[in-house]
Amino acid sequence: MSAKALNSQPGVALGGSGTLSHVYIQHPPLRCTIPGSKGLFYDDGNKLLLSVTSDQVFAWKTVPLTPPDAPSCDSIGEGPVLSVRYSLDAKVLGIQRSNHEIQFKNRETGEALIHRCRLESEIILGFFWIDCPTCDVVIVKTSGLDLFTYEPEVKILRLVETKKLNVCWYVYTHESRMVLLASGMQCKTFTGFQFSSGGIIRLPRFDMAMAQAEVNKKPVLAAEDVHIVTIYGRIYCLQVDRVAMLLHLYRFYRDAVIQQGSLTIYSSKIAVSVVDNVLLVHQVDAKVVILYDMFADSRAPISAPLPLLVRGLPRANASSSRSSINDALHIETNEMSDHEGSVYGEGWIFLVPDLICDFVNGFLWRIHLDLEAIAASNSEVPSILDFLQRRKLETNKAKQLCLAITRAVILERRPVLMVARAMDVLVNCFSHSMKMGGARRTVSGESTSTPTTQHGNNSRTVVDDPMSRVQTHGRSTKHEPATVSGVVSESIHYRTKDVDNESLGLTTFSTIDRSSTLLVSHSEENVNLALQNTSSGEPLQKPLSSEFHDLGTKEGIKSIDAGTSDVEAEQSSSESQLSPSSSRFDSNVSVESQVPSAAISPDEMYCSVFALIEEEMAGDPAYLVAIIVEYLRSAAVEKLKVHPNLYVLTVQLLARSDRYAELGLFVMNKILEPSKEVALQLLESGRQNLPTRKLGMDMLRRLSLHHDYVLLLVQDGYYLEALRYVRKNKVNTIRPSLFLDATISSNDLQHLAAVLRFFSDFIPGFTNTSDHETYYRILNEMNSSVAA
Amino acid sequence: MFGCFEAVLSLCGRSESDNYRLRERIREGDSSIWESEDFIMGLSSTATTNEGIQLCIFDLRRGQHEGQELDKILFFFPADLSFSTQLSVIGLSEGLITFTRIFSPDAACEVIEAERHSHVFYQAEPDIWMVMVVEKNKDTEAIWRNDALQRVLKEVHSLFVMFHGSIRALLEKEPGGGVARSHLYSFVMDYLTDFLVAKKLHLPSFRDCLKERGTVQMLTVGREAAIEVQSLVRILESACPGNTACNSLVLFQDLLVSTTLSPDDTVNLFAYAVLRLTPRSLSHGTNSWSYLRKGSTASHVPTGSISDNSGSATEQSYTSHDTSPGRQGQRYHIPRPLQRDKWSKGKDGFLVTETWGAEVGSLIPATPTVWLQQTDERMYLCVFQQKYLTVILLIPVSSIINGEQGISMVKQLVLETASLNIFKVEERLSRGWGGGNAYHVSGYRYLLCDRDRNISRASPPGKVTTLTKDSLLALNKLREEVDVEKSRAKWDDPNHDKDLEICIRARNNAWVIARLTKGKELYMVLEKANETLLYASDAVEKFSNRYCNGTFSLD
Repeated sequence: MSAKALNSQPGVALGGSGTLSHVYIQHPPLRCTIPGSKGLFYDDGNKLLLSVTSDQVFAWKTVPLTPPDAPSCDSIGEGPVLSVRYSLDAKVLGIQRSNHEIQFKNRETGEALIHRCRLESEIILGFFWIDCPTCDVVIVKTSGLDLFTYEPEVKILRLVETKKLNVCWYVYTHESRMVLLASGMQCKTFTGFQFSSGGIIRLPRFDMAMAQAEVNKKPVLAAEDVHIVTIYGRIYCLQVDRVAMLLHLYRFYRDAVIQQGSLTIYSSKIAVSVVDNVLLVHQVDAKVVILYDMFADSRAPISAPLPLLVRGLPRANASSSRSSINDALHIETNEMSDHEGSVYGEGWIFLVPDLICDFVNGFLWRIHLDLEAIAASNSEVPSILDFLQRRKLETNKAKQLCLAITRAVILERRPVLMVARAMDVLVNCFSHSMKMGGARRTVSGESTSTPTTQHGNNSRTVVDDPMSRVQTHGRSTKHEPATVSGVVSESIHYRTKDVDNESLGLTTFSTIDRSSTLLVSHSEENVNLALQNTSSGEPLQKPLSSEFHDLGTKEGIKSIDAGTSDVEAEQSSSESQLSPSSSRFDSNVSVESQVPSAAISPDEMYCSVFALIEEEMAGDPAYLVAIIVEYLRSAAVEKLKVHPNLYVLTVQLLARSDRYAELGLFVMNKILEPSKEVALQLLESGRQNLPTRKLGMDMLRRLSLHHDYVLLLVQDGYYLEALRYVRKNKVNTIRPSLFLDATISSNDLQHLAAVLRFFSDFIPGFTNTSDHETYYRILNEMNSSVAA
Repeated sequence: MFGCFEAVLSLCGRSESDNYRLRERIREGDSSIWESEDFIMGLSSTATTNEGIQLCIFDLRRGQHEGQELDKILFFFPADLSFSTQLSVIGLSEGLITFTRIFSPDAACEVIEAERHSHVFYQAEPDIWMVMVVEKNKDTEAIWRNDALQRVLKEVHSLFVMFHGSIRALLEKEPGGGVARSHLYSFVMDYLTDFLVAKKLHLPSFRDCLKERGTVQMLTVGREAAIEVQSLVRILESACPGNTACNSLVLFQDLLVSTTLSPDDTVNLFAYAVLRLTPRSLSHGTNSWSYLRKGSTASHVPTGSISDNSGSATEQSYTSHDTSPGRQGQRYHIPRPLQRDKWSKGKDGFLVTETWGAEVGSLIPATPTVWLQQTDERMYLCVFQQKYLTVILLIPVSSIINGEQGISMVKQLVLETASLNIFKVEERLSRGWGGGNAYHVSGYRYLLCDRDRNISRASPPGKVTTLTKDSLLALNKLREEVDVEKSRAKWDDPNHDKDLEICIRARNNAWVIARLTKGKELYMVLEKANETLLYASDAVEKFSNRYCNGTFSLD
């Protein structure tokens, strides 16, 4: 993809029908226009979009984005506003008034306190609320960080700690709880802190790579060129190198920052989003977006660069469903058409992780992945299945896509090895989700949690919950927070245990914001290992050098570690992030009753793949058998039980193609696990092939299905064997007359006599029954007729 | 238990077949037959066959006119016997066949037991008979079971047909019989070298009664390994060109792991693989020098050298004999699939042999072909070996358009797609391999046969040798009886399996046991269980439950 190709796309028309794209935003956006608004702010700690007027602040919940709620409103008094953030418990509003002054206002009492810098030379760059055990507020100044606790009772900010450093600018995301402080002439030297619930972690200082355009001209790194993203629970920093036209990737470990490759960019202006753990690199100038899945080692894009699509733009009939707000919609429609070219327009700001705010129009969009389009554009089936299985937002869609793709590759008779790899992917994913306990989780009781309760006082619950959890939970991982709904606590509990087993604490954090929790605990996995060895309480004192030294080589191992725990992370986060596009980063569960994972169980595999394609594959049973064998192999490796009907199907297919020898092998080696269904099918298929029928008989016998077995023996004329079996296994469900009738119909005098004798001998009182009388008479008649 | 057993016997043994009756008559002795037989054998002994064994193949449709009798003879061993001797053996056999056909047209005589010789008959193809004459001399080792000898005849014939097609077809192709004779000669002679021990042919005797020729021995594998093998099999098949149905056999050591062939074809290919293809049979020949170097006294070396000698010697006499009935000299190439030491492992892991010659105008050895019985299709035989794993791939000749070039493309494809799987399967099977004595069950000497699938499993030969001669003789006798019972029952109702149980106390107080049920057979010698019948019966029960899924514990 040459730059030319990218740039040659002229002003992309919004939502042109049939436009190819992998990513879209859904019309209508959240409209955050308030008359007299002086500016929009995003409070990522609470996931609120704030609009400030001269004396008020309006807050919209961004989770869920739809349906739009009326904004909540707080009065803040007159004055300039440089930034504004609610505390994580939503009780306090922090407003930066100037470079030297931050105002903290208690929302209930209306009391306010003003925090000022001690030194005139210091400039406050910003502040944010955190959920550390030791402090609540971090103020970033040019001279370093000040950490405070906010104590409402005494109405003061108590300084807890000061970190002295020169700071040019900083980047913080609540999602990662990480702040990066830039310093140096080029602003490319970074110091990082992570404010996890386990404590404050200082990352080693590191430099970012900057290519030099000319010898004497050193570029200066700007804040907008550095992005912190969390993907699969790992924390990355992305840095745009405008000279080299590269996007450098750094991954954070607790004691190291490792550059993990670079992505080529095709635009000097780059924006980054993360949707469902997929990295979206917006090439703003080129108006296209490139998708990367950082799970794999490969840094190749998932698919070709394509524009961002606006979906659901009201056309002729689109508005019918929303008649209630028809008027507003019309206005919107007009607006949108007025701003048709506004995709990647001037006013677009990309918010962490997946929001786009159009400051000019006051719109808030959420970015969605178009899984179908992505799946359709990639022909490498195993990798696309892998990709889909990792998706957590639209699990049901991902699952349906996976099933459809699997059916398609089989129907297209793709090479067995390729289908085998696809099966491996599906089976591994399912097995993983089983191990994580997530796949079968039934979501119940979640209706009591967020979405409804939040409505009245929006953002309150959201804010409330995490806080209380920090308090009850923050210091001891083992007991569960009382305030959380059942489902949440369950999942937390289980995850806590899990993580505890393999890594140290830190999980406590998880209760606050599930997604970020995991991030944290996982970003530190190597750390945890080191910690376990030293088991010193001090996290940062560890054999740093050796860790560093080994990183290159141990990367593989580590990433395996990371892999497992990451998946676990996803798994559990999937519970909270359950699909419907909108509700996910709500730190508080907004679980919808939907399948929480895209994993495909063996039953679904049978019902939705094999059973459906069986008829169409009738012409080529050998191929289908090969595929089933591959599936069985995958399942056996993961110790999964497959649907018994799959075995039945296999028997049918083999018998249909007269491959009885193989069928025998399959049964003898227990590739087809014994079951009554299989046994009956063997008997059925064995009508043309006696050895196969015997296999079915034998299976019945070994399954101790005495009744069926004896009936078959009688049916086949093995009367005496049947009687012996009856006697040995004490089968008393079969009436003597059945045997006697069978022997009479066989017209064999000796058999009848033997059977009669058997019952006379072994059933007490049989000689007195009418049966005995009847058959004895028949025997005598036959006897005399023979004699005659 | 025994009550039931008697009932079974009385129910199933109610009629006798003509065949059986005839056999009894011959055995009990019609003195005229005895005399004539002795007379003939007397003649034959003058021809100094110290082997005491004769093997002939003849066609009843040929040489019907006086003076052309020699035309009947398709093969005779030893070849240096005078024609008159050969003719007299064949004449007697033919006479008996004609005579017994009066009573039993479909299955004429099976065996003649004379005082000093046994004649074992096998009708290989319609009107083409194989007869083996074995001497019952003073040597008490010379005690056979007819069925075992018949199975030798059957095996050599099946293998012959697999490689060369039916004898009848060869005869029809070339009515003079030269082609058939030369093919039969080299093939059967090569086959017999395997029985040569110290210049003597050692045919299966009572010491081999815990073995069953014409069956397949299988490796027991766990479910996961079995699936992996099947996965390999599917991948192999998918490597074959087009939509043609390829077949495959997978062997580990000398044991079968998987087959996609019909039971009969499986038996033949398995037999051939064990004789000539498996790593053991490969090293057996090519590395014979290593035995010398090690100073081992293994019997292979003398065997090999003698077989070579006898081979070349008889070949000469054969060619002279061959020219005499006025046939043209053999200008065509006769592949000798059973010739020893002709297979070797190529660089790419495929086994190669030059015994099929080369394609016209090329130096690349031609790929061997075999006929499948079930489909009557000619298949290329490609053999790949990875350590102890032997993979036999059969590709329909019709599916390969450009001969050797096409084959090498298929081989290349197999290497590309399946070599990793082959490697993995070999590794897994090696890990689970319990060694040569893996199927030994201490305290038991057994033979287990599944007649439906032609599968058998037996105590390892090394363990069988610990049995006393008395036990083996008793078992041999018992098996002979069972063979008779079985063939009787088969005549009664071919679709109804006979259940049978016999326990015998041998002279040395060992228990010799046979149990038959649902087409499965268990033969057993318990030398140490010399207490009661109950004890022996319990031992069988335990064995059955533990190793046969309870198949034999039905009462």
